[in-house]
Amino acid sequence: MKRSTPPASESRPDSRAPGAPIHARPALESDLPALIPLIVRLKRLNEEFDPMLKVRPDVEAQAEAVLRAEIKNPKCLVIAAEGTGPDKDKVIGVVRAAIRERPFYMPEAEGVILDIYLLPLYRRHGAGQYLVEHTIAHLKERGAGIVTVEFPAQNEIAGRFYAKLGFRPITAHHARIL
Amino acid sequence: MGRFAFDQTVKMGPVVLDPPMVEARPPRSRKSVPLPSPPPEETAESEADQTAALSARAVRLAEYYRGKVETVAKVPVRSLRDFSLWYTPGIAAVSQEIRRDPARAFDLTGRWNTIAVLTDGSRVLGLGNVGPQAALPVMEGKALLFKYLGGVDAVPLPVDVSTPEALIETALRIAPAFGGINLEDIASPKCFQVLEELQRKLPIPVWHDDQLGTAAATLAGLVNALELTGRTLSSTRTVLLGAGAANLVTARLLIRLGHEPHQLTVVDHHGVLHAEREDLDEMQLRNRWKYRIALETNGGGRKGNLSDAMADADVILAASTPVPGTIRPEWVRSMAPHPIVFALANPLPEIWPADARAAGAAVVATGRGDFPNQVNNSLIFPCVFRGVLDARARSIPDEIVIAAAQELARCTATRGITDQHLLPTMDEREVFPHVAAAVAESAVRLGIARVRATREEFYERARTLMARPAALTEALQRSGLVDPMPDEPVPRRNPR
Repeated sequence: MKRSTPPASESRPDSRAPGAPIHARPALESDLPALIPLIVRLKRLNEEFDPMLKVRPDVEAQAEAVLRAEIKNPKCLVIAAEGTGPDKDKVIGVVRAAIRERPFYMPEAEGVILDIYLLPLYRRHGAGQYLVEHTIAHLKERGAGIVTVEFPAQNEIAGRFYAKLGFRPITAHHARIL
Repeated sequence: MGRFAFDQTVKMGPVVLDPPMVEARPPRSRKSVPLPSPPPEETAESEADQTAALSARAVRLAEYYRGKVETVAKVPVRSLRDFSLWYTPGIAAVSQEIRRDPARAFDLTGRWNTIAVLTDGSRVLGLGNVGPQAALPVMEGKALLFKYLGGVDAVPLPVDVSTPEALIETALRIAPAFGGINLEDIASPKCFQVLEELQRKLPIPVWHDDQLGTAAATLAGLVNALELTGRTLSSTRTVLLGAGAANLVTARLLIRLGHEPHQLTVVDHHGVLHAEREDLDEMQLRNRWKYRIALETNGGGRKGNLSDAMADADVILAASTPVPGTIRPEWVRSMAPHPIVFALANPLPEIWPADARAAGAAVVATGRGDFPNQVNNSLIFPCVFRGVLDARARSIPDEIVIAAAQELARCTATRGITDQHLLPTMDEREVFPHVAAAVAESAVRLGIARVRATREEFYERARTLMARPAALTEALQRSGLVDPMPDEPVPRRNPR
């Protein structure tokens, strides 16, 4: 199998997107107060698509606990996106991602984009694409040979967005309430 | 002053005939315009009675006449032999002619002047989703207006569909019979998707009056109100109350015309529409038109409710709920000096004109014909269709909508703009052919006209075609072929 590791000379991509009014960096614990509402907004949006994604009443506390653990976990990746110009120090987006092992398939290491959220005002000018590519570069650096992304099946906007970036459905995830 | 039924066709809320609204009517009379103090309570009741009487009469007359438009021959029929020309065998040759060159349909049939008044009945007047059957009388009325005011033959066409895709499909399939399509009374935001897609797919003009007609009439009034108060659009701060079909298009047209987007603030029932609002993600999915406006407008990041938005604003354009008191006088007082107040909800404006004036408004417009400055889409749609049909335009881009609004504003200005005369009244219909000619000329300039003529020629054509229906109706009444009003003791000879 041909492993696609980046050439040594290729450094991490520029943290500033060309044209996109955002830049991304690894999240710190001090970012938590800004990150939690973004994750909550995303979960509430997911609920719009499907009642099976009904948000728990303790969603804020859960978001805090999960993010706090993930920021420290070397198998996880939490990225904070900031604005530029007057919004330079304002956190306006978040990514949660992780490295998972694939015991039966190749490539063996899978980078999973779990959550990605950008405030509406910062969504255009290729900002979302920049954030995804930035995350993928990080995941690749940590050994991922394949990248996957999870979002509600009903979210057609996300489906189209990722299709444009070269993603396609690989496994299906069906559910039934008990 | 002669009062026409179409005085009440602006639909930003329930119309006069809506019985539930009658009870909600506050203690204030139509006749109270110049009076700052509220009139006695019984006036409100008498107005409610009047509205109820009007409703009852409309039902009785509908039952008497059983429809408002009919098919009438426009060719001589001297004997049945003539049908060999109007029908087989002669007509086969006409059919072959069009088969060879489909564009000939516009020369050889009535297609050049015929439109569909197409609805799914999903938002009829202020009544909501009444369905296609109940929408029919309203579509018949609209067809009558199209004919009477614009000289346009209009076919009432409520259709039984439930999805926007099915409505689009229906419009595409019926298009061969029509020179244009007027979408009517379709719920928002479905109406945006339907209009956008049909404008893209059909080679004939498609219009949605609740979006474009109302926005154009508002724009025309606003242009003159700005002129009257010595403002320029580029330095004006405007608040739009209501984020329905009309206001979203008004916002788009204002920006197009030179209003700074960040100087616009839209307020809906959740308060100021701004980019950080929690419901924006859902909005992106369900109403991308509103979402786009949310991102573009409200520079300076105002938040809060209507009162916060109105502070220091130059203009309030309200097209929201027909409840007086929606806009409070103290909020008008908090606006910039000599503010402009458009309270367009029907039948009850968001603030009564007298109250707005008392609070300092320099000029007030409403949707009603019994107050000065009626913002009425009947000033727009007959002219737009006359113009695009005469130019055989392929579509109706925003430039044409703006051209119609500007010409309507200009025509008012030639008579002199005052705080009581921002727009022509329905009695000043001599301006209609001017607006139609401006529309046609605009289509030629944009390269989407399939008929080329000078503005004067378009004007003459429009004037002739727009004058004919009234003459026809009058002749039919005089001859007795159209019954006089059965409940009027003395039949009126002249409806004017």
